[in-house]
This record gives sequence, C-alpha cells and structure tokens, in this order.
Amino acid sequence: MPPGSLALLAQGAVVSLLLAAAAIVGGTLLAVLLATIAFARFAAVRAVYRVYVYVVRGTPLLVLALLLFYAMPALDLRTGPYIAGTLVLIVYTGALFAEVFRGGVLAIPRPQWESARSLGLPPLAMFRKIVAPLVTRYTLPPYVNVCVMSVKASSVLSIISVWELTLAAREIIERTFAVFTILGLAAAFYFVMCFGIDRLGRLLERHLALKGFAGERA
Amino acid sequence: MIAVRGLQKSFGTARVLRGIDLDIADGEVVALIGRSGCGKTTLLRCINFLEEYDTGEIRLDGEELWYRTTPGGARRRVSEAEARRMRQQMGIVFQQYNLFPHMTVLDNVLLGPRFAQRVSVAEAEALGRRLLARVGLEAKMSGYPAQLSGGQQQRVAIARALAMRPKVLLLDEITSALDPELVGEVEDVIRSLLSDRIMMVLVTHALGFAREVAHRIAYLADGAIVELGSPADILDRPKDPSLKEFLRRVR
Repeated sequence: MPPGSLALLAQGAVVSLLLAAAAIVGGTLLAVLLATIAFARFAAVRAVYRVYVYVVRGTPLLVLALLLFYAMPALDLRTGPYIAGTLVLIVYTGALFAEVFRGGVLAIPRPQWESARSLGLPPLAMFRKIVAPLVTRYTLPPYVNVCVMSVKASSVLSIISVWELTLAAREIIERTFAVFTILGLAAAFYFVMCFGIDRLGRLLERHLALKGFAGERA
Repeated sequence: MIAVRGLQKSFGTARVLRGIDLDIADGEVVALIGRSGCGKTTLLRCINFLEEYDTGEIRLDGEELWYRTTPGGARRRVSEAEARRMRQQMGIVFQQYNLFPHMTVLDNVLLGPRFAQRVSVAEAEALGRRLLARVGLEAKMSGYPAQLSGGQQQRVAIARALAMRPKVLLLDEITSALDPELVGEVEDVIRSLLSDRIMMVLVTHALGFAREVAHRIAYLADGAIVELGSPADILDRPKDPSLKEFLRRVR
C-alpha cells in the first residue's frame, strides 16, 4: 500500500462523515418543516410540499449537485464547493426524510388523534408529546436507512471538487495506480461508517421501544 | 347542564342523526341504547365535537358549543383555541381505551392538566396520583399501557378523563372491548363516580348496568330518540314496537 494513503483516506472519511452529519441534522430539521407543510390546512401550501418532493426526489443527486455548484457563483454566492455540497445534501435528504416523517404521521392511529384532541391539547404540546414521540418510534428504521444513504450519497460531491473520501481515493489512485487496494479501502471506510450508523440506529430503537409489547426487541 | 336541540348530521346521503333533542341535568346520568348504527355513538361524538354536525345546537351550562352563527346568518365553527377550551370541560372514554402507548400511566393522566390546562407539575402529579388511587391503580403508576390488562387500561382512561375535572363524562361503550371477567372492575369505577354527581352520557349495550346507574335511558333508532324515560319505563314497560323488539333480541 502506498505510504500515507491510509491517513489520507481516514481524513477523507472524516470529511464524508461531517458532510453526512450536516445532511442528517439539516435534512431532519428541513424535513420536520416540510412534513408540517404536508399536512397544512390549505391545499396550496400542501402543493408546495408535493412539488418540492417530486422535484428533488425525481432528479439525480449528481445533477442537483452540479446545478447548485454552477448556479451559486451566478447567484453571486461565492461560497465554494463545500457550502454548495452541504446544501445540496441537505436539500436531498430533506425530501427523503420528509416522506419518512409523513408516513409516520399517517401511521398514527385515528383514535390517538381523537384522544389527544379530546384533551384539548394545544398544537405545540400535541406535537411534542404525541406526534413527535410516536413518529420517531414508527419511522426509526426508514430514517436510519436515509442516514446510511446520506453517507454514501456524499461521495457524489467529489464531482464538484469537495474533498472527501471518494476524492481522496481518486487522488491517491492517480499518483499510485493502486486502484483496487485504494478503492477497496475506501469501500471499507464507507462500510464501517454505515455499519456504525446502523448500530446506533438499533441502539436507539431498543431504547425507544414501546414498553410492554410482546416481541418489542424484534 | 347540557341541552341538545335539533341535532342533525349526515354522512353523504345517509342521515345518521335526524333531529335529536336531549337535556341532561346537572348530576344526571343518561344512557343511550339502540342497535348498532342507530346513531348513539355519533351523538356522543358530536357532543365532544369529534364529529361535526350539520344543524342544531349543543349547549353546556347555557354556552353554545362548537358553532357560532354570524350576524349574516352563516354558521361557522368556533376557532381551534375555543374548541380546545370547550373540550376541556368534557372527558371522553373510548371503547378501545386509546391510552398513549409511549407514556407511563401517570403521564397519560397528567397530560391534559399539564399541557392543556397548564396546571403545575406538583399539582398535576398530586391529582394524577389521587385519581389513580381512586381507580385502584396507584401501584401501576409508572407502568406502560401495554403492561396492563384491558380493564386496567380502561380504568386509566377514566382517570385521564377525570383529570380534566370535566363537567360531563362521555362514555362510549367502555366495556364492550373487555373480557367478561374485566367488565366488573370498570363498572365499579363508574358506580363510584355516581356520588360525585358528575353528568354522564353513556353509550352502552349493557342494559343491566344502564338500569343500575342511569337516571334516564334514551332509545335511539334510525338517528332519532324514539323513547326516553326512566330505566323502568324503557326496559320494563317499553311502548315503541321497535324498542320491544330490540329488548327481546338483547335478552
């Protein structure tokens, strides 16, 4: 193995993880907002949600990344590839998370809504005490799915010169031609990160499992 | 007191309530009986505005609930905030208990007082403990709903409804989903509430229980109250042929 390449790959992995973390945190916040819009009282507002999801979900991440990268200087936002890359990841995962959350809200049984309504809970308490806890529990597996995907999706940003794990690997390969070793190592790094997120998700699932149900550790 | 006047409701072309008039006096217990689909549950749900209704009015202690008529004559729902305030004067208990599965028993009971009525934590907890003691479940306070039997869950649901200090308790077939041996413990809790003189409207198929706790029984058929009277009048001396037929089938 070319000397120093492992350290470079590790650095790239850290950047990838940071990008994914930003996508997860930013995307989650965006998705909560979007999912709220999805259940708005007015049809015009709900339509905003649908258009957003259709457009973002219906476009390749690669194309979105290029689009934003080239559009930002044109918009006089000279922020470089890192900001553009982070934004595009947030926009993308936001749409995916939003659909996950929307599904979770739809899964809340009608009697639960009625119980909460009959207590006269104000909207914020309804969200904090009923909707958020239930949706979190219902959607954890697909949510983790999108989290894992966002780690891998960050590799696309190498195309707009965001230096992360994939770009680090390509640079090393250009110097050393150790294609399979380096790509194999990069894949291993990605796998470890994704596996870690998976395990975290499982832990959280166990922690949040509704108590008292048979087979709660399925 | 509650006054229901001319309540009508349709689901599409099906008229489920065709002009209900019903008064419930303070401290009175009224049972609604009738075949399934007769509108008794819908009536109960209209009182708590879980269902909208098309015409008619419901008053609680003189205040008109759920709708306002503008000077122009248009009928409009009250604001969400108003509806929440009105709902806090009522407690409803459902057939399927509907406790919040992610909360402890105590938190289920505290939720309304804490977040809808803004009672302090200490006060709400004291109230919650007292009510859970009253339904005999103080020991299960930190358990979760799914760890309880159906009868126990239903008793928690009653405590949750009472925690709002409601003027009226609406009970929607609260023993229908229970195993027969668990019915008694829930009925006992309701019996124990009679001395509180809280208004109750109960939809039920348990005629024996209705006879025992209700001051009056209303028999509904096809979305209308066909016969209304004392338990003895309704159950022992029915006049309406369809009521006679209903009683014959139930017994």
